[in-house]
Amino acid sequence: MTLRYLFPLLLAAAPLAASAQVAEAQTRLKTAVTEVLAVADRTANRGALPERLRPVLQKYVNFDTMTKRAVGPGWRQFTPAQQQAASKLFSTLIIRSYSGKFTPGEHPDITYKPAVSLGSDRVDVPTSMVYKGSHYTVVYRMEQMHITDVVIEGVSLVANYRSQLDAQFKKGGANGVISSLTQSVSRPQ
Amino acid sequence: MKYHELSLRLFLLAATPLLTDCSTQAARTALKPTAEAAATKGKAAEKAGTLKDDELDEYATAPDISDPLEKMNRGTFWVNNQLYTFILRPISKGYTLLLPRPVRKGIDNAFENVKYPVRFVNCTLQGKFKRAGQETGKFVVNTVGGVGGIFRPAESIPTLANLPEEDTAQTFAKWGIPNGPYLVLPMLGPSSLRDTVGLAGDYALNPINWPYLYWFGSRSKHDWVIVPPLSNTLRSTPAQMENYDSITKDAVDPYISARSAYSQNRAEAEKK
Repeated sequence: MTLRYLFPLLLAAAPLAASAQVAEAQTRLKTAVTEVLAVADRTANRGALPERLRPVLQKYVNFDTMTKRAVGPGWRQFTPAQQQAASKLFSTLIIRSYSGKFTPGEHPDITYKPAVSLGSDRVDVPTSMVYKGSHYTVVYRMEQMHITDVVIEGVSLVANYRSQLDAQFKKGGANGVISSLTQSVSRPQ
Repeated sequence: MKYHELSLRLFLLAATPLLTDCSTQAARTALKPTAEAAATKGKAAEKAGTLKDDELDEYATAPDISDPLEKMNRGTFWVNNQLYTFILRPISKGYTLLLPRPVRKGIDNAFENVKYPVRFVNCTLQGKFKRAGQETGKFVVNTVGGVGGIFRPAESIPTLANLPEEDTAQTFAKWGIPNGPYLVLPMLGPSSLRDTVGLAGDYALNPINWPYLYWFGSRSKHDWVIVPPLSNTLRSTPAQMENYDSITKDAVDPYISARSAYSQNRAEAEKK
């Protein structure tokens, strides 16, 4: 009898838990963005920005998961040392690329739209951003409260790199991926 | 001297159809995917809950567009890169140096506003009648209230703000016409067979090109007709360069990066 009353309660609790997770993801993303913008504002020397942003980004972005997915199926054939090397290079590339998007004195105007729970700790936080007079749709994909992908105007960062790194893996295996990442990282800006 | 003038004129005339609209196309270019991508993503999302193999997981499975002409495309991509580096980027830099951003924004707004028939016709052809109405509302508000579209007062009206882009290629996609092979077009950059035909549709529907198209056979008498399409190209070059750079700058393989971004961005645009 008690169970009969409990059941609807349990059913009601599930979406509540999901919505709590959704709200938390959005709050966390907002905190991350605020922190990043504060660091960018404080850093007058643009060359130093990637290193200044690194600790903040590492707090909010799961670079290991990002790298794993950016490499794709070939990842299993990487030795732990190769995985570590790839992850380090990939995070450096992403942080540098991201830092390059900031123009001193420019502030993005971000509108956070209702987040969507995809189950298994996954939440998509869609945002709409106006930066330097242009409008962009940006979706942050979060897992366990960490950003694992950014989708700008429909283009997933991870999917975009996967198409490139998978091709490198097919050509030259794990070493091919690592040397291509090394080349991209060492390319002068 | 005369010879050089003539060559320049011929070059400009020849390049005009290619150059016009190139910005918008390249912008999309930089950023576009296919219906299959969307479908696969859907399936991937379904799997997401159960799949344990992280590296095989999910979102990142957006498939590339088929590229049987890769060798030729890579060649065109290389040529484009040279054209961008030595011609378009200096032009873009000069333009942004000469005109402050608010002025450039106003010019962009006006050109986008004039493109209203492209959006209206394609909304209608896709059966998006409500959107076609919104586009009309936006056009009227921006033309009348925004001094010929230089300003965009419609953006402060919620129902008219941020309407997704519509173009002929999206109409073809909606009708079920597949992408066909991936194509890198000279100057314009990433496209597909279907989208190239769509581009011609957009070109014909854009009033900025109408005088040029109308006097195509006798343009020597109406040299001015080249001015609107060329201005359109010029004003859109900075955005095109910015998009190109953001896609290729930190890429491992710029060619694949541009192709993937193009196919993903297009698939997303088709969904809206």
